[in-house]
Amino acid sequence: MAIAAESARPHHTLWGDAFVRLRRNRLAVVGAVLIISLALASIIVPLISPYEFDEQNLNAVLEGPSHAHLLGTDGLGRDVFTRLFYGARTSLAVGIFVQLIVLAIGLPIGALAGYAGGRVDNLLMRFVDIVYAFPDLLLIILIRAILGGSIYMIFLAIGLVAWVNVARLVRGQILTLKQRDFATAARAMGGSGPYITVRHLLPNSLGPIIVLITFGIPRAIFAEAALSYIGIGVKPPTPSWGTMIYNGYQNIFGAPYLVVFPAIAVGILMLAFTFLGDGLRDALDPRERR
Amino acid sequence: MSTLLEVRDLSTHFHTQDGVVKAVEHASYEVDRGEVIALVGESGCGKTVSALSIVRLIQDPPGKIVSGQVNFNGTDLLKLPRQAIRKVRGSQIAMIFQEPMTSLNPVLTIRRQMTEALEIHRGMKSQEALDEAIRLLERVGITEAERRVKDYPHKFSGGMRQRVMMAMAISCQPQLIIADEPTTAVDVTIQAQLLEMLHNITKDLDTAIILITHNLGIVARYARRVYVMYAGRIVETGSAEDVYHDPRHPYTVGLIASVPRLDEPRTARLVPIEGQPPDLIAPPLGCPFHPRCSRVQNQCKEGAYELIEVAPGHYTSCRIAGKD
Repeated sequence: MAIAAESARPHHTLWGDAFVRLRRNRLAVVGAVLIISLALASIIVPLISPYEFDEQNLNAVLEGPSHAHLLGTDGLGRDVFTRLFYGARTSLAVGIFVQLIVLAIGLPIGALAGYAGGRVDNLLMRFVDIVYAFPDLLLIILIRAILGGSIYMIFLAIGLVAWVNVARLVRGQILTLKQRDFATAARAMGGSGPYITVRHLLPNSLGPIIVLITFGIPRAIFAEAALSYIGIGVKPPTPSWGTMIYNGYQNIFGAPYLVVFPAIAVGILMLAFTFLGDGLRDALDPRERR
Repeated sequence: MSTLLEVRDLSTHFHTQDGVVKAVEHASYEVDRGEVIALVGESGCGKTVSALSIVRLIQDPPGKIVSGQVNFNGTDLLKLPRQAIRKVRGSQIAMIFQEPMTSLNPVLTIRRQMTEALEIHRGMKSQEALDEAIRLLERVGITEAERRVKDYPHKFSGGMRQRVMMAMAISCQPQLIIADEPTTAVDVTIQAQLLEMLHNITKDLDTAIILITHNLGIVARYARRVYVMYAGRIVETGSAEDVYHDPRHPYTVGLIASVPRLDEPRTARLVPIEGQPPDLIAPPLGCPFHPRCSRVQNQCKEGAYELIEVAPGHYTSCRIAGKD
């Protein structure tokens, strides 16, 4: 009987339930669809565009949107449409990989500091304070200088600066959660510190963490753009939205679309991540009933 | 009956900015196998802290067990290494907490929470643990347990959550359950039902219970022996019968007088205990109850604390009552 009931119903896990609830949230679905289609478009753009992202045509510089060039051309006669979708690759990759690095560093450090408390907490948090107190851009430039030039090193450099917020958030969450009755109950049941942290406390703090991460993605995209602008980001001719905006800035009066299109793209992507983040936060909270 | 748990001279202090709070001072009590004892007293008298100290669940810092022994089946739990005390928690000594609404993790299903102890302590596989969880839920009176086990805690009422907590507590067939005001947060109509159920199940399993409560009605019905606590000390102990019908300590007398009784005319007014519980950082010298006591004499204001036997098996720390 128990077995029949088990197979008749979908398996209920935290993530399974969250997915069901996420699908009911229209804005979150819109956000997810936008992000996925942008990712897909950036993958298939070589198939649908007749131009290469680094193909210069000096006979057609700074042309406005036309049938030949849907979004016009930039100062070197490169097709903006093609570059925009190639740029999406860079931006999405920066946004997502940086946050993975942020999670990989911030989550364990925050959780350890929060649960262990005392001297461990003090030590880790003072280290976080030091990283936090350092000017972000300066630190990134410093790390870039040490790590060298590949695009992965950009991820790493931004990630090594951005994890402190997550560490602080996780620590705060764990600190309050471990005082809750269910944490005491889990200890009374015989759970060890790491077990309780991973099984009971972290799932309870997933909501705020995910929101912070989704808001961190556009911030990482902007950080990459700023780096590209001062010449230590993505190497030209590889396009990123940041480089495109900053390059277009030089011709903002003659060809405003050079700034407008990538800016719209950044805006839409940010909005999409925000919708998705809000949806995830609600979906991961089982108390939320719809 | 053999002794299961012997708490000897237990003192637990909390170090705060204002000073050392002596939450439990030299408390001693015993629990036999399968026996129900009650710890009684008003809020803040050290009942919960003394019980949490048994399984070392006092947050350190600020709390610290400064002295005493907790002999459980002959081993001193206070001397066990951390790893070993974790094996005792949940499997041999289980706890039921006061607040069913917050004692379950809101983001995990009942199944995940119920199977935890089974998997940790009884080494069960997932499916096996699920079957056992359903069996346990049925035993504590959850209908449609097969379906409900997959629900989250917010879909359960307070009473049902407390049933779940009880099912979790008995899941490893512990020898001792510490029930910290298990029915205080539950509807009055459910209280008796829950306690009756817990009592029956534990009788079957031969599990002893430490019942922490301030409801003397519950005490009279279930507990064999009663320990009355005041200001971190045990001020009176004896069989439930003796303490209830022949209370010796003025504090116990006051506690009983402050509870409504069905067998007395409804016009009789309840008598509160005047004053506030003492400051545990600097408790009054002598008998800690003397500032509130109506029978206070000079000898109460000094001298050391000790329990005096006033009748066979009936002890009190009140010196005046001891001389009656």
